[in-house]
Amino acid sequence: MSGGLAVGQQTAPAARRSRLSPMTYALIALGALLVLSAVRVITGAGDLTSTGSVQAALTAAVPIAMAALAGLWAERAGVINIGLEGMMVLGTFGAGYAGYQWGPWAGVVFGLLLGVLGGLLHAVATVTFGVDHIISGVAINLLAPGAALFLSKQFFADAAGGGQKQSPRIQDAEKVSVPGLPDLLGSIEDKRWFFVSDLAGILRGLTTQVSLLTVLAAVLIAGSAFVLWKTPLGLRLRSCGEAPVAAESLGVNVYKYKYLAVTASGAFAGLGGAILAVTSGQFRDGQTGGRGFIGLAAMIFGNWRPGGLATGAGLFGYTDALALRGSLAVHALLLLLAIALVVVAVWQYREGAPVLSAVSAAIGVLFAWWYFTSDGIPPELVGAAPYVVTILVLALASQRLRAPRAVGEVYRRGEGK
Amino acid sequence: MSTEPPGGEPALAVELTGITKRFPGVVANSDVNIAVRPGTVHALVGENGAGKSTLMKILYGMQRPDEGAIAVNGSPVDFHSPADAIRAGIGMVHQHFMLADNLTVLENVVLGDEPRGGLGLDFAAARRRIREISEAYGLGVRPDRLVDELGVGERQRVEILKVLYRGARILILDEPTAVLVPQEVDELFGNLRDLKAEGLTILFISHKLDEVLSVADDITVMRRGTTVASVAPEETTARKLAELMVGSALPVPELRESTVTDRPVLTVANLTLADADGRKVLDDISFTIHAGEVLGIAGVEGNGQAELVEALMGIRKPDSGSVHLAGEDISRLSTRARRESGMGYIPEDRHRQGVLLEATLWENRVLGHQSRRPSARGPLIDRRSARADTQRIVETYDVRTPGIDVHASALSGGNQQKLIVGREMSGNPVVLIASHPTRGVDVGAQAAIWDHIRRARAEHLAVLLISADLDELIGMSDTLAVILRGRLVADYDPGTVTPQDLGSAMTGAGRDAE
Ligand SMILES: Nc1ncnc2c1ncn2[C@@H]1O[C@H](COP(=O)(O)OP(=O)(O)OP(=O)(O)O)[C@@H](O)[C@H]1O
Ligand SMILES: [Mg+2]
Repeated sequence: MSGGLAVGQQTAPAARRSRLSPMTYALIALGALLVLSAVRVITGAGDLTSTGSVQAALTAAVPIAMAALAGLWAERAGVINIGLEGMMVLGTFGAGYAGYQWGPWAGVVFGLLLGVLGGLLHAVATVTFGVDHIISGVAINLLAPGAALFLSKQFFADAAGGGQKQSPRIQDAEKVSVPGLPDLLGSIEDKRWFFVSDLAGILRGLTTQVSLLTVLAAVLIAGSAFVLWKTPLGLRLRSCGEAPVAAESLGVNVYKYKYLAVTASGAFAGLGGAILAVTSGQFRDGQTGGRGFIGLAAMIFGNWRPGGLATGAGLFGYTDALALRGSLAVHALLLLLAIALVVVAVWQYREGAPVLSAVSAAIGVLFAWWYFTSDGIPPELVGAAPYVVTILVLALASQRLRAPRAVGEVYRRGEGK
Repeated sequence: MSTEPPGGEPALAVELTGITKRFPGVVANSDVNIAVRPGTVHALVGENGAGKSTLMKILYGMQRPDEGAIAVNGSPVDFHSPADAIRAGIGMVHQHFMLADNLTVLENVVLGDEPRGGLGLDFAAARRRIREISEAYGLGVRPDRLVDELGVGERQRVEILKVLYRGARILILDEPTAVLVPQEVDELFGNLRDLKAEGLTILFISHKLDEVLSVADDITVMRRGTTVASVAPEETTARKLAELMVGSALPVPELRESTVTDRPVLTVANLTLADADGRKVLDDISFTIHAGEVLGIAGVEGNGQAELVEALMGIRKPDSGSVHLAGEDISRLSTRARRESGMGYIPEDRHRQGVLLEATLWENRVLGHQSRRPSARGPLIDRRSARADTQRIVETYDVRTPGIDVHASALSGGNQQKLIVGREMSGNPVVLIASHPTRGVDVGAQAAIWDHIRRARAEHLAVLLISADLDELIGMSDTLAVILRGRLVADYDPGTVTPQDLGSAMTGAGRDAE
């Protein structure tokens, strides 16, 4: 009888964690699209799937996705970065300053560099001096807008087209389309067929007049997924967020990787801010409007994974875009949300969470009732729609989230226990 | 000191001279001198808190000595981090697991020394390497498992694989065998001898003195932070070693007279639990433990022990079956309610489930008792009596600590274990679920823990005992069962069974032979 050290062990097939296959994802997407078209037909809110909405959604989603990506880098290395908002503000200022003088790409680079500064500040505080991550982050959030406002008064007040609280205009970045497709898809979209036209509208939105900045963001998200999960650097970085002492015991320089991660985090946040400023044509005071925090929420919703956070940012961008389109679209959103919540209810029930399921179902029914008994939504509530949707989705759909084990803990070298 | 001793002998593999290390309130090492010959297995023994782990962490660069010098292969070294030690060819298996739960085995193993291919990490090469080592040393490690899913035994083997993967020439093994069953230990020792034959040097810490005697070439005994003796295994016995270590004789786990009553306390019926793949990890488990009875469960780790314990404590939900405590159905109660109705629980992995490392001893005492006296009064924590009771535990269980206000992380591994045992035995539990209760405690403290269990048993405590130490199981149990692939396959009379019988039943060999 020989079995080595693992004598008598059960030789089970390597237990795969139940992750959804690409096929399942495709089916989910298809289902969502069907529901969307149905709601579009029922409500007559063409904006739900129009090219314009999708384009607006993309534009709104990109800065949030960058903030979420920034959060991902920091938290995967164990540092909470609640200072994202402040770093984004720095990014918007940087973009305003360089953007109006030397063009959008200079703005992007400059915004990114200012974000790096913010990140470095956070790294020095949390990693070197062991300051509580939240405190350092809040400090950055308080400092950055003040600094940006001060600088904007210094540099923009006398510039042509600028003011105390805003920069002169920045030229937008180049936009590209997939050749040939837009016209074809446009003609299909105009037919207003069930499903087919909706699909065409969405595809057209994704392939027409896409800003190069959006393309850059997509590349960065995919690149981050590769770097963090497929390279030695990424493995070491993640190990600092999961078990820093274990990493240290294997000779990993935990400080170095935390610095790297938080600096990268600042860079992404700065970039997010810069993109926001460039796509909206100028720097304005208070422009970020909590997008840094929403990015964090998107990252959590996405379970600390690039694909997930992109989905979260996309969801938020979409509701944001609908809110901009007005009351009719948001009214339709009620019905959409009601259906989504009922689906969540069924799913949670099957997962063995009857309470959550009941709560989802109740809220879902409430929304449906609201939809059918009203003709529109008070304008005061329209702007709140994206936030409401985010909260509901976060609270009800994502229950099995797993944060990096050692996130938020202050690590000191040589205290290996 | 010369690096080339007369007689042309090769330089010492490790030489520690005058090492001193102080922590607030304790001197963990004071003027320690140890010389390790190359190509030997050098064992380090000593009571809990003697300073063994601290010394090894210093050698591995995890901690800096306050005084003293280290020489490796004859040349003086000054390690600032484990990275330096790794570069000098030293590898260490820590007393407490150093694993990232949310990473796969592969990621944990290659971390810090990753094979590269193209732009990224060469996963295929890493997997191949790990499989090779795992096969060569019979470790049975599966590279793509998530560490979170592994039990203590498999974690231990992953830790061993980690050092082998790095090709270290000097291995430090801090209690690598505490949770391994005898067959696994034999296998490991076979490997150690092979490694030694290849010229590797091994520093080995264990509280199991028989093991030490069978594998070591030299033995150094530590006591209260300093070395008190160096002996050769041929010239000593386990009894003498124990006397050197703790100044008392070797304890024997033994239940004198039976105290088993006919009053059932814990009744488990048809407990079944399937894992994510639908494979049954618990398969129709039924047993009854009576007041005053100790039921021992023997088994190779990974056969359902962890799941059984977690199902009993309400941490996992079984698919079917029931658990009754003193006639009442507790199958649907929460873990806290179960504890409140009198279940004590000594978990298998103290750092994952037993203590909060960054909390003080008295706060740790409150854990799990946060709703009961003496830790709480009404909705509030009763700080004064919680502290008083912690002091009592520290004294009765001989927890070596500068005070009850230090963090649990400042205790040596064995002393953390004693604190947990003390906590779980307080509040007059009616059932004690004990997984490896004496894991990592020295022979003297082992005797004390066994005594406490014996005394509580005489007062009608029912105990479920799971242990890798077959002598402990045989000596402490009134009834013995073997668990294999999630089933209780055989019952034995502890009065007549031998460790060999148990050993083969645990691997299923006994069955095959029938
Ligand atoms: N980080 C720390 N802070 C304060 N004191 C510590 C720390 N680490 C260890 N000690 C103290 O140093 C002494 C030696 O501890 P060490 O862990 O080396 O013991 P050990 O011989 O390995 O014991 P065991 O057999 O229980 O593992 C103990 O008194 C312990 O309380
Ligand atoms: Mg120790």
